[in-house]
Amino acid sequence: MDDFWFEFVEVTQSIGDGVLFGSTYALIGIGFTLIFGAMGKLNVAYAAAAMAGAYSSLAIYILFDAPLVVIFIVSAICAAILGYLVYLTCFRFIPVHNHLAALMASVGGLFFIDEVIVHATRGSPLAFPSMFSEAYFEVGPYGIRGDLLFVFFIGLISTGVLLYVLFRTRLGLATRAVAQQDVAARLCGMSIHLTNSTTFAVAGLLGGIAGAMTAAAVGILSPVMILPLTIKGLIVTVIGGLGSIPGAIIAGLFVGGFENVVMYFRGIDERDMYVVALLFIFLVFRPNGLFGKTITRD
Amino acid sequence: MDYFLNLVNTIGIHTLLGLSAYILLLTGQLSLAQAGFFAVGAYTAAVLTVILGWGILPAIGLAMLITGLLAFLVGFPALRVRGLMLVVATLAFGEFVRMFFYNFRWRVTQEGVEVGPDGTMGFSEIRYFAEHGWTSWEVTSLIWVFVILVMAIIWWADQTRSGAVLRAVGEDELAAGTVGIDVTVVKMAAMTAGGVIAGLAGSLYAHQITMLDHHAFTVLLATFAIAYPILGGVSNVFGTLVAVIFIQGLLVEGLRFLGDWRMLLFGALIIVVMNVKPRGLFDSQTLRWIKSVLRLHLSRRIS
Amino acid sequence: MLEVKSLSKHFGGVQAVRELDLAVNAGDIFGVIGPNGSGKSTLVNLISGVFPATTGEIHFQGQSLSNLSPHARVRAGVARTFQNIRLFPGLTVWQNLWVARNSTEDTRAEGISFRWFRKSGPVKNEIDAMLEFSGLADKGDELASNLAFGEQRRLELARAAATKPRLLLLDEPAAGMNQEEVRDLGRRIRELRQQGMTIILIEHVMELVMGITDRIVVLNFGSKIAEGEPAAIRKDKSVQEAYLGQSEDG
Repeated sequence: MDDFWFEFVEVTQSIGDGVLFGSTYALIGIGFTLIFGAMGKLNVAYAAAAMAGAYSSLAIYILFDAPLVVIFIVSAICAAILGYLVYLTCFRFIPVHNHLAALMASVGGLFFIDEVIVHATRGSPLAFPSMFSEAYFEVGPYGIRGDLLFVFFIGLISTGVLLYVLFRTRLGLATRAVAQQDVAARLCGMSIHLTNSTTFAVAGLLGGIAGAMTAAAVGILSPVMILPLTIKGLIVTVIGGLGSIPGAIIAGLFVGGFENVVMYFRGIDERDMYVVALLFIFLVFRPNGLFGKTITRD
Repeated sequence: MDYFLNLVNTIGIHTLLGLSAYILLLTGQLSLAQAGFFAVGAYTAAVLTVILGWGILPAIGLAMLITGLLAFLVGFPALRVRGLMLVVATLAFGEFVRMFFYNFRWRVTQEGVEVGPDGTMGFSEIRYFAEHGWTSWEVTSLIWVFVILVMAIIWWADQTRSGAVLRAVGEDELAAGTVGIDVTVVKMAAMTAGGVIAGLAGSLYAHQITMLDHHAFTVLLATFAIAYPILGGVSNVFGTLVAVIFIQGLLVEGLRFLGDWRMLLFGALIIVVMNVKPRGLFDSQTLRWIKSVLRLHLSRRIS
Repeated sequence: MLEVKSLSKHFGGVQAVRELDLAVNAGDIFGVIGPNGSGKSTLVNLISGVFPATTGEIHFQGQSLSNLSPHARVRAGVARTFQNIRLFPGLTVWQNLWVARNSTEDTRAEGISFRWFRKSGPVKNEIDAMLEFSGLADKGDELASNLAFGEQRRLELARAAATKPRLLLLDEPAAGMNQEEVRDLGRRIRELRQQGMTIILIEHVMELVMGITDRIVVLNFGSKIAEGEPAAIRKDKSVQEAYLGQSEDG
């Protein structure tokens, strides 16, 4: 019985840690979903741009010896600029209805950013300053890592701010209008390109924060983190339902918890394999995701 | 000479890989799973010749069969979603396969030596060609016989009604349904055919390169696979071949002095081409231009 | 031939079609008219299976269509055109017809045989006749996207006819046409009827509807408000009100 109890605590503990860490996936998923919602397109280079933001902030932190708090802000701003650049290079000038070309261009963008990072760092991981890593709270048999809790709170605040902007301001209204009816929105005098680039920049802000959060929680930044983050972000987006922000949040936390449980039982080598398998289970049983709308009317 | 032949082999294998994505692209599907099917084909064929001691042709045949079956099975859940979701699903599948082989161990002792796939360490000593005394020329010929065969079959299919049906689905799924085409069946057929060809490419690759490593089957390879037909355009199979020669011959080999910067160039190249020619380098516009130039050239010669 | 029983379709809170009953006789040209947003196009989409009905039944020649996918309905003999033309723009005119032709019959042998079959044999004859019918005889090798607007409409009509349907649904085939083209279209539709097709014509251009239909149904807000012969419909009070209720249109 004691063994069972011990096991139970261990499993729930790892689920809890995973859910906290899952907030980074949720943010990346929201970013993918925002861009999809606005343009109906996937920006595969998104997570790479987010990580590049984290790298830039790390560079500024080291070069100027900036205070720790600045890291998240700088990362967000850099990723927003990169997001806008990705929009310009991979989406802006490609015909609207050619989804495949835009997708392909953003895959090119993913490799480009990835390679630039590999070259700039010679492919080796860099230490990333983590915050509150000494802090440790004990709640009954459980322990809560300070850095994870901090990351979770940053994610919570960013999501809150995003939702406020999206549902309580004019900018958010315009974005949602374009997402729902781009022709009608254009007739009402909204500029598609302006709202699209704003969406990319806003998604970039979130991505930059998520990139820095990931690095802060893991303690390092490495180019090999880019692809898994991209894939998990996409998986979260699909599981949550393309275009659904609440879906992305729930799916992000869920994937975070799920992968930790798998890691507990099967080890880190097999972890990502099962996360991907989870996607297929969803594709079979709920192809529209948790909150996806079925598309009607052409 | 061997260096040259290796390049020719690589071009042949990558052409097959590109053609496997080409078929899917005809039906309007962008699949990032081709690297996964390629990997399955490679490991299957290698296990058959190394561990079970099969001949090369039966091994390739079974590998093609298995990857075709796998593509068919993957197609079911993947095709329930459309367009961009399919990209996510196939991307995830490709990574799943890579991670599977990262964890895949099957070691057996043969004549005192341990052989077989060894997880992270990869799968080395795939020595079928060496053990059976194949010369480099014979290996290259084998690969290119398959390349020419597959190109011929696809080119031929494109002249038939089946080819037109594939393209019709790619042009407009809804309209295809309303002229009586069973869109799901067509897409499944394309998916399966793509899997078979990718499996063929993989099984040739395994024996030509003699050692498999999960690093070879990343998203980069999947991107190569779709980049060939996209850059080459889907007007005909030769576009894919030209794109492979351009990327593998010129960009990867020709610019070797640039070192790792070539991959950076690859990313930039895709972005530039998609902006300038969103329908591929060899779209119908370019083809017409080439034809008119050729015609002018010929008529001048005659007169 | 076609029987629609208490058919309804909701989009979220919007009721596009409500409790509609229709009966179309074999060999008729059956007109469906109504103001914008009255559910005409939705009706076509429901009969052709583009999306499923919320409630109700559709029977075609005694067979229920409700559980059939769009391509299966074509095989059962129901073809359609689209209000906003949907050709295969990257295929040639010839290929557009080739793809549609015979998908109702066994085409396996033809499917794997060479394109050069077209030089002779029944396939070529049949498609050439279709080209002749649509006035595109000299444009067989053009890409569909290179055709003029009127030619694209004619090709789409021919493509639908090439599936050899028994029931043909035309969704505003005269939209954007000038008078002469409309008359031309009327002639073609009659010709298709002579070939044995029953036709449901959804149209705003009254000249065409009044000129060639045998019966007309008038929809408003997704419900049937009148049904009868063209002459009777012209005089119907409720129809006039429905049209006057909205500003000048078509």
